[in-house]
Amino acid sequence: MEEIVRAEGLKKTFTLSKKQQRIERTGETRRVAVDSLTFSAYRGEIYGLLGPNGAGKTTTLRILSTLIKPDAGDAFLCGNSVVRDPGKVRDCIGFLTSDLKLEGFFTPDYLFDFFGAMHGVEKQTLARRKRELFSRFGIDQFAGVRVRDLSTGMLQKVSLVVSIVHDPEVVVFDEPTNGLDVITAKVVTDFLQELKGMGKSILLSTHIFSLVEKLCDRVGIIIDGRLAAEGTRAEIAQGNLEETFFRIYREKKGGIA
Amino acid sequence: MKLAALMRKEFHRFFHDPRLIVTMLLPGLLIFLLYSIIGSAVNGKEAKTYRVYCDEAPPLVVAAVGAIARENTVEWLPLEDEEAATAEIREKKAAAIVKFGTGFDPLLEGGNVEIVYDPVNEDSLSFYSTLTAALNELGRRFTVSPAPLSGVEAVGRSVMQSVLPLIVVCFIFSACMSVTLESVAGEKERGTLSTVLVTSVKRSHIALGKILPLSCISMLGALSSFLGTALSMPKLMGVSMGFLGGYSAWSYVLLCLLILSAVPLVVSLIALVSTLSRSVKEASAYTGVVMILVMVVSLVSAFVPTIGDWAVALPILNATVQMQGILGGRLPVWQSLVSVGANLLYTALLVVVITKLLSSERVMFGK
Repeated sequence: MEEIVRAEGLKKTFTLSKKQQRIERTGETRRVAVDSLTFSAYRGEIYGLLGPNGAGKTTTLRILSTLIKPDAGDAFLCGNSVVRDPGKVRDCIGFLTSDLKLEGFFTPDYLFDFFGAMHGVEKQTLARRKRELFSRFGIDQFAGVRVRDLSTGMLQKVSLVVSIVHDPEVVVFDEPTNGLDVITAKVVTDFLQELKGMGKSILLSTHIFSLVEKLCDRVGIIIDGRLAAEGTRAEIAQGNLEETFFRIYREKKGGIA
Repeated sequence: MKLAALMRKEFHRFFHDPRLIVTMLLPGLLIFLLYSIIGSAVNGKEAKTYRVYCDEAPPLVVAAVGAIARENTVEWLPLEDEEAATAEIREKKAAAIVKFGTGFDPLLEGGNVEIVYDPVNEDSLSFYSTLTAALNELGRRFTVSPAPLSGVEAVGRSVMQSVLPLIVVCFIFSACMSVTLESVAGEKERGTLSTVLVTSVKRSHIALGKILPLSCISMLGALSSFLGTALSMPKLMGVSMGFLGGYSAWSYVLLCLLILSAVPLVVSLIALVSTLSRSVKEASAYTGVVMILVMVVSLVSAFVPTIGDWAVALPILNATVQMQGILGGRLPVWQSLVSVGANLLYTALLVVVITKLLSSERVMFGK
């Protein structure tokens, strides 16, 4: 199997403000969000980073998408280093997270063309992809409607489509179904499987067991910024993913507070 | 109790946010510092010598004028050639011609004093005020006949010369502020700038992609405001300026170049502040401080009439000083072109800094 994402000893620490220290009743000035994280994802598979809130999933995906830099370690996507070649990494990935928003003033049609230009997609290819993707997600009827006037579900579809405008090899999704209604969530999960069928590699973060069970080929359980377990879904689940997760969690944290 | 809680909340919000305190207190500090500098520049000037032509100045008047003029001295010269003396006043070599009427006695009421001066000449105007004040001090009712060499038009021009650059800078700032805050701080606050950061476009292109179009839009606003002001000012001042206001086409070219070079500089300055801010509200507060700073710098040129050529190196001030020179009828070509170059250089430096900031995760994603 061809390795398409490789994280090598990623480490990221954040400075805690006085206020955060007070709230968390700690004297620590630094918080380790990701600690020596190493994992690999292969071409054509869906890899899930499973963990509770604050485990370091989003930070990891932000490092992989080059939005932030690791304090130590490196990650390689399509063979490009996030530290040395962030521009090349951005060209080969599509990143979708709720933190990245689309300008409400513009229409899906305009934004698709704009982000296509940002990624250097040729006009003809862009027009073809727009036709295909807008039709696939039912955006074509809303192509001329301003984003601020779209429903939450349609907005998520537009965000998804815009994030893969350049047909990336790797698709990175942070909590892909969070806040979606069941219909839109189904459309998104079906599309992720469709992307996998097209040979794309998908890296997603989630805390939803059912999503991992439904989609992921391999899973990495992340707790306190460290990789607590990794393997195929079957290897990790050992019959019941939820039970396995909480067993590992208790082992690492000493209980569920 | 509820009112007290509400009030406490507001005080807590203010006094626990260093940014709010800074934006509240910094303007006062800036105003104090800059006005002090202006004050020492205006008041710390060397003592003047007023050269005044007069047939025979009564000793009492000479003494009174000397007392009012304080550290300045008056050189009373015999009036031999009135035309030559008048020319000297126009050329700013002399301050005034004073003619005391026949039988003028400073101890008697009703004497006549004619003062020939030039209101657009600072020294001449200053001596005119000194002499009239001195005559008042004598406590007699004299008939003072002012004979200004420059008419209302010249005075209007003089006022325009000192006020218009400041007004133009105000318009430039407000034109730039309205579009830049929303486009940079607004996009950052809404998370739409991050969406662009995930693409492979260079950070320098993102910075230029903001500065260049915003500058073009702001230039339209600034030029429109400038033309509106420049065309209406003569009417406001009651001055008929004639075709092109009596200025040459080159003067207008230089004025436009100065305005056009100041716009991207101000846009970059506001974009820098906006990039550093977390929200439009925060950016507006900081930009308010920057605006005061820019206004005060512009005021310097209005209050300090003789600023050296070193001003070409100072952003904004260089534009206002050269604009003032052009409106005063001079054509400071090299100073204006160097000022334009300096402003563009500062803009380029700010673009480099903004590019660095766009790459900084602490600035872009710091909570």
